[in-house]
Amino acid sequence: MKRFLSYLTILLLTASCTGTPKGAVPGTDPVIYPDYTNITVPSNIASPNFLIEDDANGYVTLFKSGDVQVRISGQKVCIPLRKWRKLTSQGDISVTIYEKKDNGWVMMKPFDINVGKEIDAYVTYRLIPPSFQTFGRLSINQRNLTNFKERVIYANSMAAADDGEQCINCHSFRNWHADRMQFHIRQLNGGTVYYMDGKLSKLNLKTDSTISAAVYPAWHPTHDYIAYSNNMTFQNIHTNNLERMEAFDDESDLVLYDIYKNAVSVIENKRDEYECHPYWTPDGQTLFYVSAHVDDPDWFFSVGGASVHNELLKYNLYCKSFNPQDKSWGETQLYYDAASVDSSITWPRISPDGTKLLACLSSHGIFPPYQSEADLVMFDLGNGSFRYVDEINSNRAESYHSWSSNGRWVIFSTRREDGTYTRIYLSYLKDDGYFTKPFPVPQKDPEFSRKFLYSFNVPEFSIDPIKVSARVISSFVNSTDPGSVSYEQKEGK
Amino acid sequence: MAAILWCVLVSKEQFFLHKVEDLSVFLFDRMFLAERLTIPGGFLGLAGSFLTQFLYLPWLGALLWVVLLLAAYQASIRVFSIPESYRALALIPVALLIIGNMSLGYGVFIMRTQDHFFVPVLGYLVSFIPLSATKRLKTLWSKLVFLVLWNVTGFPLFGAFALIGTIVSACYISVQSDLPSKERLALSVTALLSVAVVPMALYSAYTSYRLADSWIMGLPSISEDGWTHAMRAPFQLALLSQILLASASGIMSAKPLKGLIKDFVTYTSYIASIAIICVFWYKDDNFHTELEMSYAVDQFDWNRTINIYQKAVDRHIKSDRKAYDARCRKIVQAHSTQEISDIVDRYSSRFFEPTRTMVMYRDLALLKTDRALNEAFTMKDGSRMQNSRTQIPMAWQSGKQFYLQYGLVNMCYRWCLEDVIEHNWSYSTLRYMVMHSVIMQEPELAEKYIRKLESTIFYRKWARQQRALKSDREAMAASQPYKSILPYMCFDNHMSNDMIKTEAYLINHFMDVEPESATPEYDRAALLIAMRIQDISRFWERVRYYLNSNQVQSIPRSVQEAALLYSSLTKDGRQLPYDDEVTKSYDEFNRYVQSHAICSMKESAYPYSLRFGKTFYYYYYFMRDLKTY
Repeated sequence: MKRFLSYLTILLLTASCTGTPKGAVPGTDPVIYPDYTNITVPSNIASPNFLIEDDANGYVTLFKSGDVQVRISGQKVCIPLRKWRKLTSQGDISVTIYEKKDNGWVMMKPFDINVGKEIDAYVTYRLIPPSFQTFGRLSINQRNLTNFKERVIYANSMAAADDGEQCINCHSFRNWHADRMQFHIRQLNGGTVYYMDGKLSKLNLKTDSTISAAVYPAWHPTHDYIAYSNNMTFQNIHTNNLERMEAFDDESDLVLYDIYKNAVSVIENKRDEYECHPYWTPDGQTLFYVSAHVDDPDWFFSVGGASVHNELLKYNLYCKSFNPQDKSWGETQLYYDAASVDSSITWPRISPDGTKLLACLSSHGIFPPYQSEADLVMFDLGNGSFRYVDEINSNRAESYHSWSSNGRWVIFSTRREDGTYTRIYLSYLKDDGYFTKPFPVPQKDPEFSRKFLYSFNVPEFSIDPIKVSARVISSFVNSTDPGSVSYEQKEGK
Repeated sequence: MAAILWCVLVSKEQFFLHKVEDLSVFLFDRMFLAERLTIPGGFLGLAGSFLTQFLYLPWLGALLWVVLLLAAYQASIRVFSIPESYRALALIPVALLIIGNMSLGYGVFIMRTQDHFFVPVLGYLVSFIPLSATKRLKTLWSKLVFLVLWNVTGFPLFGAFALIGTIVSACYISVQSDLPSKERLALSVTALLSVAVVPMALYSAYTSYRLADSWIMGLPSISEDGWTHAMRAPFQLALLSQILLASASGIMSAKPLKGLIKDFVTYTSYIASIAIICVFWYKDDNFHTELEMSYAVDQFDWNRTINIYQKAVDRHIKSDRKAYDARCRKIVQAHSTQEISDIVDRYSSRFFEPTRTMVMYRDLALLKTDRALNEAFTMKDGSRMQNSRTQIPMAWQSGKQFYLQYGLVNMCYRWCLEDVIEHNWSYSTLRYMVMHSVIMQEPELAEKYIRKLESTIFYRKWARQQRALKSDREAMAASQPYKSILPYMCFDNHMSNDMIKTEAYLINHFMDVEPESATPEYDRAALLIAMRIQDISRFWERVRYYLNSNQVQSIPRSVQEAALLYSSLTKDGRQLPYDDEVTKSYDEFNRYVQSHAICSMKESAYPYSLRFGKTFYYYYYFMRDLKTY
């Protein structure tokens, strides 16, 4: 009898979980974290779990899409992936939250989650505490956006030894495919690590004729080249400011690495120009990059250079034609004169169809994440028009950004949540050329972002997963000396 | 003995225990727990961190530790079936476990593992599990399967301690004459093989360490590479003793000691254990004074900070006198100035000299209580090096305290983060990051750290108090410690870097940065530092600023002394009004100098300090070439 009664109770409880609270009165807009209200999500993304922040005695959330209905009880709304898939398969989703207040149920204003085109399934980023100069805990991780699985591609703890530590950075894929990947390792067992066609290799791209090893990469889309910047980067600390630090270059140039020939040649290395952040157009015939001009390099260096006068460095956007057949370069053209509007432009990123260029605009320097006014701007490469992407920007720093392979999604770094910890947000590019409301990459635990004490750096999409394990990479990195490259004289004009 | 140990810990080492706790963290937070489990031995580490939090109440934390040590002693006896006549031998590994923690000294500031205080003893206990389980199993196969399974499950949870347990089992089994030799061989070989193979087999499940480090995962770790072996040595010796006890268990059971030999082994073990503890226990007085001052600074108890310093000075009055007398006796017998110089050098370490950290804590406290310009130069000064294997930079030890209190809050935040990366999260870094975020009025950032501290037992209340201040500038400005920090933040923002030299950076900051509207507090600090660096032109400049911003009824005595000395040295006509007592003391100093020739500054420092140790003249002439770390 006892057993029967308990079964009956469970049955009744289960039955009561299928409907909505009766007699609910209309309420205001719900407050949820993260703010997933009225967003557009990729059709294949993991469920956007959230926390209802309003105070109430009970919560019921109802998701409706076509003939599919999902009901979740509780303040933490975590939608099982299978049910979420059913919802997205039906198209746009309407979400209604019911909150049980002291005097009965309140039906909060419903909001929508629209379903857009698919997104590349993987995003790779570097996890790093928002550190200043030490780098004892870094890892490059790959997240599967269609679920919540994340794996470490390489962590510097896998190499930490008594004789030093590693900094790891600048992971990059060719044309969104993980079968061609590279990242840098600095210091202990340093070098640029390549994973190409199932093989690992490690190179030291510093030559006697270049100022540093390779830094910011741009894979050529059609040929076996990678454009790199060479940078001499330093950091300094703001003594009394909400922006806590600055990273800056005291010198930088551009080089081209020819993978087939294993040779480096200079693209730009003028002494009074600080060239950086190369990026190719999809046809591989134009290289965009940024560069800051110093009128009097001797004076600049004599007064402490960028370490003291970083605010004087204003990077402009340039482009330069390139013939991939013979590696010859055309004239350099100024594309956007940011300095003339007392700004600095960085991180040019061109959409896969070659029609748009997304970049970061801030007051000065090459490292916008530390500048709260840093915003994303977009150029129409067809007519040269330019606009602030206000629908994405916040009053805190937006910085590194990448296009998805279909050109409909951007992922970008932002410090909008707390000004310090960088988070990655997604936004959908509509047909009218405007983006939808950005939202953070969904996490299993809605409060993840509040609790997590690492920043997400350099989010890069890839269509497929990285096929080499962290163990294999670490074993290779720690047992292989970097190969050298030769230096080629610059060709062309 | 356990009671004595507990009493010593509570009475002499309470601030060390506090520091161990302050530099660790345990959060009742799923993300924290999950992250800790990503390394082999993570579970043991969590248990260690959990227990470490109770060192917040040193009597309770010490009690837990002593109980665990007793358990370790008892476990050795029971699991190895040690006969009564050999039992004192089991004290030796326990003594090594004690000294592993209590010999750490300055190493506590650079430990990478937050759980290092409790993990060794917990691991020691864990390592008895496989043997006691194997002894209960009847068949060979069940024993073999158990040993392999123990490594497979124990390694992720307990790290190297699980493997040591297996080695202990292998050693014990191999000497049990009541087992068939084939069984002994099978068990020992299986145990040792699984110790070699299991960590390698499980390595692909982890991404947090090198394969080569697999067999030391879970052991305490320190960020100073040259210190690793010395820091781990006591723990490793304790584990080795355990293995030796296991290996000798067969002989001990077969041949219990009697008579004189029994007494000899017993007393030798007692003496050896006590000697290990007494010899290697880190007893440096300056270190302990620093810890006590650091605690008072964290409590913003400035008068207590000053008193601790003064007590430390007073504690050494007699020993200084003795050292001086002994040195005089030697000097009388010396035949050459070189010989005298050698004697002076030899005896210099016998005189008390504070570390820079002590002096800086004291100066900070004197500034916060507006006593600095009257009293800073009346107290003993110095720059004794840390009595330590390597010099721990002040930035690691106390940087965040100084930077926060002197209004360089971004630099404080920077060192919190560097500390997190190099060492680990701790209650200390979380608290200072909260204070940084509250003073900079960054509510979202403050909330992040407040939430973490809210999930602790002992800092929950404090964290909730800070929540009320994080976006209420007025309330923040009216409450401590912010009230006493904000006046130092009157300077304009600029870029700089301390290059890990905290004191030098603070000197440069106060000397080079001239706020447009400096507060009285800022000018007092700048003047104190100008006097500390004995720079005459900067002194006069800073005196001018000080007199402009401070409503001074009477000029502080040390400032008068400095002014009188400098004006008589430079004869540039710059003067201040002097009290009669100041001019008298300066005249007396001059007369004394003329009648008591100074052979060498080092030699004369002590006798001069007895008469003029509380004057700026003494500081100017005898406190030169102070070093900073």
